[in-house]
Amino acid sequence: MAKPLSSTVDKGVANSGALVSAFARQIVPIAPILVLIVVFLIWPIVNVAAKAFEDNNGNFTLDNFVVASQGVYAQAFGNSISLGIYSALLASIPGAAFAYIIESRGSEFLKRIINSATSVLAISGGVPLAFMFIAAFGVEGSATVLLKFIGLDLYASGFTLFSYWGLVLVYCFFQIPIMVLVFSPAVQALRKEWTEAARSLGASKWQYWRHVGIPLLFPSFSASFLLLFASAFSAYATARAMTVGTIALVPLMIGTLVDGNVIVDQFNLGKALAIGMVLVTAVAMVPYLLIQRRVARWQK
Amino acid sequence: MKRLGFKLPSAGLFITVLLAGIFVLLPLGSASEYSFRTPMFGPGTYGWDNYAWFVSQPDFGTYVTLSLMLAAVAAAITLFVLVPTVVWLNLRGQRLRPLMEFLTLLPLVIPVVALAIGAQTSLPVELQSNQYSLSFFYFVLALPYTYRTLDIGIRAIPLKTLSEAARSLGASQIKVIALVLAPVVRGAVIASVFLTIALSLGEFTLTSLLHWQTFTTWVTVISQSNILGAIALSVFTIVAAFALLLVVGLVSIRTKRRQVTEE
Amino acid sequence: MRFKRFAAAAVAVVAAAGMSLSFAAPSQAAINYCKVTDLKSTSNGMNGLVAAAKKEGQLNVITLPRDWANYGEAMDLFSKAFGIKINNDNPDGSSAYELQTIATATPDKQPDVVDIGVSALNTVVGAGRTSIFSNYKVQTWNDIPAEWKDAGGAWYGDYNGIIAIAYDSSVSPAPKKISDLANAAYHGQVALGGDPSAAQEAFMSVFAAAIAKGGSVTNIQPGIDFFKTLKQNGNFTSVLANGANYVSGAYKISLSWNFNGPGAIASAKAAGKTLKYVIPSDVALQGTPYIQAINKKAPHCAAARLWEEFLYSENKGKGSSKITAADKKLPGQALFNTIMGGQNIFVSGGATPITVKAMTKKGLLIKAPAGLDVPKTAKLVMPSPDNQAAGKALVTSQWPNL
Repeated sequence: MAKPLSSTVDKGVANSGALVSAFARQIVPIAPILVLIVVFLIWPIVNVAAKAFEDNNGNFTLDNFVVASQGVYAQAFGNSISLGIYSALLASIPGAAFAYIIESRGSEFLKRIINSATSVLAISGGVPLAFMFIAAFGVEGSATVLLKFIGLDLYASGFTLFSYWGLVLVYCFFQIPIMVLVFSPAVQALRKEWTEAARSLGASKWQYWRHVGIPLLFPSFSASFLLLFASAFSAYATARAMTVGTIALVPLMIGTLVDGNVIVDQFNLGKALAIGMVLVTAVAMVPYLLIQRRVARWQK
Repeated sequence: MKRLGFKLPSAGLFITVLLAGIFVLLPLGSASEYSFRTPMFGPGTYGWDNYAWFVSQPDFGTYVTLSLMLAAVAAAITLFVLVPTVVWLNLRGQRLRPLMEFLTLLPLVIPVVALAIGAQTSLPVELQSNQYSLSFFYFVLALPYTYRTLDIGIRAIPLKTLSEAARSLGASQIKVIALVLAPVVRGAVIASVFLTIALSLGEFTLTSLLHWQTFTTWVTVISQSNILGAIALSVFTIVAAFALLLVVGLVSIRTKRRQVTEE
Repeated sequence: MRFKRFAAAAVAVVAAAGMSLSFAAPSQAAINYCKVTDLKSTSNGMNGLVAAAKKEGQLNVITLPRDWANYGEAMDLFSKAFGIKINNDNPDGSSAYELQTIATATPDKQPDVVDIGVSALNTVVGAGRTSIFSNYKVQTWNDIPAEWKDAGGAWYGDYNGIIAIAYDSSVSPAPKKISDLANAAYHGQVALGGDPSAAQEAFMSVFAAAIAKGGSVTNIQPGIDFFKTLKQNGNFTSVLANGANYVSGAYKISLSWNFNGPGAIASAKAAGKTLKYVIPSDVALQGTPYIQAINKKAPHCAAARLWEEFLYSENKGKGSSKITAADKKLPGQALFNTIMGGQNIFVSGGATPITVKAMTKKGLLIKAPAGLDVPKTAKLVMPSPDNQAAGKALVTSQWPNL
């Protein structure tokens, strides 16, 4: 009687063992990076995020989320999302075109220059970035003066750098380099052989792009687009330096609530807003993943 | 190597590079104009004085060295942890890719100030007291860019076919990665390492919120009442990081050429 | 060779003896300054405190901008006179950052002392809370007005300021009062030094505008409306008012604490600009005093207490550029008496020291920087912490849609 029992147990172990080992085989190779992400990002954040469900006395509440979804905060989410989309649209297309031109025509030397420059520019931001644009396009900026000299008065036409569209313009300074940086490897991988093959088969330029180029580049393009969206959606220091809070944006409000001098009793509301930002990003992933899946099918 | 494909006229390339140059140099150049001003010698005079000022500060060398060390460690983590991960995800771990894509977007979206507070309350003191913990944070903060650069570069290459072909010819797993895959993904790897270095050299917010002094945070301390000096420092930071990466990049072209000729 | 080794050993013995001698001298070093709440309670007073602080050798301060109330000079003088290295964590940080650091930073990175706003203070003190500060009463304790100190010595006000108009000398006509800022001549020239819902200086600037435009400490609305008008007529530009942006001509007029004036004027001059400060003739809005306190987790207890004694010292004494090598060799009390006290350093920075009344009576007040006098016509007001709490609710909801 003992025997069959033990054999069933063995079988069970073997089954779950197979499952575990299948899972392990999937997870073990990426374990090092998961550990780093958990230790240096997820674990610290979970500790903070839990506070979003507490009031100032440490009691459980959902009030922070209720407040975060109303009034000026709801408006801030709207503005930040639209800023993310416009900025991604405005940066992705020139960025992609630039990456294509450099990858297909540029020398190895030029590519290295572009590579080094985009790496540095992609992470630029904050007060120094705002200053660079003020020095160029401010009221007394060099470009403003130059344009005035040739008869184009920027500021007479109602232009101002310190507005929603001014932000979109300034964000291009790091957004286009991000696009070039991230998208270049995709263009690089667009095998010359395929172009050649398409050509030898008599495909026109249009046909090549319609049937080969765009379908191949589209997944990479959408991945880059998502990154650009998240980048503008969450940009903080530049917006702070250029609007002093006169536009409702979520990252600014989180900064105000968590690290301000004036409001000092609503930390947990700030944390609820931060969770809101993560949720928006998660939602933004959905259309992206659908596109990816569709493209994967399409490519088969 | 023969050039194939649809050629753009050289003028097209020239105009593109010119436009990009204006786009970058107009703001940067306008800012640097201020950094060369020397009002102490009268209005309209220019010189290197603002640059000489910060270079002669006693701690300049210390912090430059420290920032370079932190960047080197972060770059090493990208190279030895991230690159193999992305290669593997593209070979076998397709199902885990959406998870990784989401995880690697988070560092961008999560407010740094929240990360800083959380890190201080939840990580062991021994870890926090080690300055090199910053390199790990820099690595994580760079992930949104580095992961995508690598993933896009690698996914477009028929990795599976390449590795299977190599293995059917009797190459070991390591040999496959080192000899077959590494050269193919070189461009994306260099780009992601560069980005990690650039981010490490320029990161300010988290470093300062975690109470560390690196080159960038030192800059804000010493340039507090020196307006032109502060502008000079921020121009220097951008140009120096660019120059550093360019040198590394050119060295890598040379080694690549040498490899090619040796083969 | 043998002789050499012997000589080395002899040197070592002598050195060791010397060391033990120098340690033996202040035998009172047994005092644990972390527990000291009053210098009078120690047997060797200032001499002992200075010696103990020098031995610690370091002081951790936090979020002290050099131009702010002349903190730069205070740090330089303290550091030079006592030979104590000052670590200034995140000079541009906020009060929230200071409290957050006490709550979360590892022991070696804890600040010894803080300088925080009243509203931040109110989140950490009061009934039912364990104090995060060490009680300590400086020698000039009785000169601090009772309303601006904790009876037990946990915290104490240090200085306050008045909102001034800062403007470039090229601006014509020169602005004299806050309501002048609507003048069409200032198109695109008016800016603030931050987001009023995050930066105290900008918040108090809106309060000042409110009072200038018919509001009061209980009614900030006219101030928000005033900035709305300025934005509509194009005078207000949302660029951050800071040194670099000013030098680049992005704005020419801003509202700022008077105690940022002397530093900002000097910085601007070095960058080739002539900046002027004037207290508005319609309203002189006073901020609530900033608050000093010693952190309970302070890693340098003696240096922290010496810093407070120094900040509240009313001496006229020498500034950092006048300290000589001979001064540095003086015994603690004599050295302390030789150097300028923090209260007067605040004066030289344009701030009003908390002990101003007592100092005036004693004739110890030095001359304030020229040009920052309060005009007789100006209405002197100070929004209380409660007024501020009510005002910020309105600012938070309306400012993002200015």
